[in-house]
Amino acid sequence: MNKPLLALALTFGFGALVSVQAQQAPAINDAQIAHIAYTAGAIDVTAAKQALQKSSNAEVRAFAEGMARDHAAVNEQALALVKKLGVTPQDNATSQSLADGAAAEQKRLAALSGSEYDKAYAANEVAFHKAVNAALSDTLIPAAQNAELKSLLETGLKLFQSHQMHAEHLAQSLN
Amino acid sequence: MIALQHAMSRTLILLAAMLALAVGSLPASASDRASTPTTTPTQRVHVVVIDKMEFGPMPTDVRAGDIIEWDNRDIFEHSATARDGSFDIDLKPASKVRSVATAGTAAFFCKYHPTMTATLVVR
Repeated sequence: MNKPLLALALTFGFGALVSVQAQQAPAINDAQIAHIAYTAGAIDVTAAKQALQKSSNAEVRAFAEGMARDHAAVNEQALALVKKLGVTPQDNATSQSLADGAAAEQKRLAALSGSEYDKAYAANEVAFHKAVNAALSDTLIPAAQNAELKSLLETGLKLFQSHQMHAEHLAQSLN
Repeated sequence: MIALQHAMSRTLILLAAMLALAVGSLPASASDRASTPTTTPTQRVHVVVIDKMEFGPMPTDVRAGDIIEWDNRDIFEHSATARDGSFDIDLKPASKVRSVATAGTAAFFCKYHPTMTATLVVR
């Protein structure tokens, strides 16, 4: 596994598992890339839904609504694309470590409340989007073979970069 | 018969008076029309395309009263929100919205995606 994917996995606390796999990981294919991108989007929708259940801060709620809306839209587009291309998204070590890490993070956030939760959610959104952006720009986009998949990932990168900036503004305003 | 003619001439006078009033108020009604997003012969329509998380090139030579057509081709909801708060236009995915240009230099952004920024100049 290359550095950005490793960093992405490390961000979510599964570095040990992933670095073992890194030594034998073959070059990543489009079916795996699609799975990773979809998983990343689904993780953020789940995090947003948790925020909408837990937070009463108007700014946090508006941010979470935007995350849920945008990531659901990208994932819908991604599903339509893989169907059109006849590709079945392929589960892989990066997707698994992302999902496991996100589940742990969700559990950690569930134990918090009030402004403590809001700050932790915003900080996690900054870290998550930063890690996904590095993986997209350094690994997933260069490795994508299909032009339409590459184009969707490029739009996804611009979207995620915008989300990162938005999350940074949110985190600052909560401090 | 005479009474009827009298009534008709009174109606004509009334009509003429109403017409004069309407003509007199034409400049005011023309400016009223300019504030609603329907085109009049003097208005021009300028299209701003929003695609792949970017505001496209800004139209040049926009005059106050012209129509701006915001064409959001993205799968995402966006907004055109003025930094000075003078306008805040919601742009649903794959939809077009029209607004009327007012004079000045307007820096704006998408409130959902703060990396999307642009500046529109209206004479």
